[in-house]
Amino acid sequence: MFTCKDSIDQLLEFLDGEISADDEEHLHEHLSGCPPCVSFLKTYRATPNLARRALGETMPEDFARSLTAFLRERCKKK
Amino acid sequence: MESGDPTAAEDRNLLEKAQAGDMAGFEALVERHRDHVYSLALRMTRSEADAAEVTQETFLSAYQHLAEFRGEAAFGSWVHRIAANHSLMRLRHSRVVKNAEEEIKGQPEFNERGSLAEYPESDWSRRADERVLDSELRRAIQQASDGLPESYRQVFLLKDLDDLSYEEIAEITGDSVPAIKSRLHRARLALRDAIDRFYNDG
Ligand SMILES: [Zn+2]
Repeated sequence: MFTCKDSIDQLLEFLDGEISADDEEHLHEHLSGCPPCVSFLKTYRATPNLARRALGETMPEDFARSLTAFLRERCKKK
Repeated sequence: MESGDPTAAEDRNLLEKAQAGDMAGFEALVERHRDHVYSLALRMTRSEADAAEVTQETFLSAYQHLAEFRGEAAFGSWVHRIAANHSLMRLRHSRVVKNAEEEIKGQPEFNERGSLAEYPESDWSRRADERVLDSELRRAIQQASDGLPESYRQVFLLKDLDDLSYEEIAEITGDSVPAIKSRLHRARLALRDAIDRFYNDG
């Protein structure tokens, strides 16, 4: 029988689809009786997408302008 | 990445022009990918000035290797890999102190029976789909990412921001795939914890 700790340890492999059949059965068994782990799983699963969105930036305009100037200068035709 | 993706199709179209020597085609590609490259470099180096330079180096290097790019992968993933390499090189050069043993915070706590201790039952996973991200939440996530020990931050950003495969990350960092997965898992736990605290305390 998995504990919460065992279950959380397996989340990455589980979401990657790389968990063994045995462990997957143990995990499902634990989740069926543990609401906190169910919401932990859901929020863990939502994290990468949320992080990706939060960490995306628009390059500041002055940087973008220097980038264009830099590349025009350096990318000379052969 | 798949051939039906209109973004990838447009990239391929521009790439052909760029490879034929059309600078406008290359500049259009740069414009489409520069925000992504800049974001990765910024979160890696945590310095706007370094990120701007890494972005320049990345696209210069892409330009110089344009002829070698065969197009079996998407242009985007190719540029992401170049950006990852340049960000890491920058970190290796500018590193002041490297503390390999640094502890990662924000890990779940368990009682002696291995059960989640003190767990507030809030499931914010559906709010993650909201169109506009709260600016406080953005800041909390950025701080959590910036606060990760460096080896964890690298893996987390390469996987979850740059979308590289475990094998690509292993190649770039020189670490083993199991070590990468273990760090990624702990980094995601730390990020999850930061978001959780935002929704529960905020
Ligand atoms: Zn549990």
